[in-house]
Amino acid sequence: MKSYLGKGILLAMCLLIGLILAIQVKNLDEDYHFISIKTISDLNVAIRQEKEEIEHLKALIESQENRLSEYQSAIESEGSINEILIQDIEIMRMRSGHYDLEGPGVMVVLRDSERELYEGENPNNVIVHDEDVLKIINDLKIAGAEALSINGQRYLNTSEIQCAGPTITINQMTYAQPFVIKAIGNPDTLNAAIKAPGTYAWEIKEVFGLQVESHISERIRIPKYQGNHRLQYVTIEEGENL
Amino acid sequence: MIIIAIVGLVVGIVLGLYLPVTYPAALSLYISVAILASLDSVLGGFRASLENKFDTEIFVTGFFSNAILAAFLAYIGDKLGVPLYYAAVFAFGSRLFQNFAIIRRHLINRMHHEPDGEVRGDL
Repeated sequence: MKSYLGKGILLAMCLLIGLILAIQVKNLDEDYHFISIKTISDLNVAIRQEKEEIEHLKALIESQENRLSEYQSAIESEGSINEILIQDIEIMRMRSGHYDLEGPGVMVVLRDSERELYEGENPNNVIVHDEDVLKIINDLKIAGAEALSINGQRYLNTSEIQCAGPTITINQMTYAQPFVIKAIGNPDTLNAAIKAPGTYAWEIKEVFGLQVESHISERIRIPKYQGNHRLQYVTIEEGENL
Repeated sequence: MIIIAIVGLVVGIVLGLYLPVTYPAALSLYISVAILASLDSVLGGFRASLENKFDTEIFVTGFFSNAILAAFLAYIGDKLGVPLYYAAVFAFGSRLFQNFAIIRRHLINRMHHEPDGEVRGDL
């Protein structure tokens, strides 16, 4: 019995030595690299991201195919796709500021702070800056705003928000405070983008004491873009990508 | 007994070649010294069994404690900036040769003086 135990232990020991020996030889080989658990998890994350990207692309293909079949069924049933193309153009025009728009959303009012300055405090701390407006606009975009305006100026993708002394220039028109930002979209998400703790608007309100108000409304009105839409430099790229 | 040892070694090597185990290159010195120490233990065990003094407990404890002490010496040496693992290499290396020489003598003795094979079968 004891000799069996001894032989078993000897076998186990020799097995262990062989194992370590082989692993050591393998590890000293230059082609064999040490991979830490962190590397493995990083690679896993990268793979997952690639897979998600592929899923997105597949969803995109599917939606484009749906649109294609929409067009085809329109051609079959009505003989032309004018109707759908007109709808598309309407959407593009709404997006690009050709129409006055209306819908549920929020109205945000920004005013300079009325509190007293601390001893030696920089007065810039209590003034609404162009940056504040920019960041709030960006937060509203993140929250899914479909149309935006500032003090009655339609905010388009080419609209600037520029500092001009105590005033701000938007679409080449200059406005003093208060700044009224209107956004059409899901009112609750838009409101949360202004009021939720940790957002930029919350911070300038609570930390710097600026006056930030946000009102939910079922009928926010956003005027059309008053400048002209002419394009001087861009042309449509020719090729298959269209 | 020697057959068991060889079978164990071969199976271990094959397993080691196929198992995807890796560790940082910085650790390979310690592992090398530990391997040397445990090889010494195995040869020592072999020699003891030839002399019929083989004791499983001594063998197992020697195997592990020698390996751990050798790796630990190498580690301490690294930290102190003195290559202490030389101590392990010299000690276990010379013991390895000693053991091997004694094993050789035992085997030759048996071949000349005890040709009935009863004890050799046990090896």
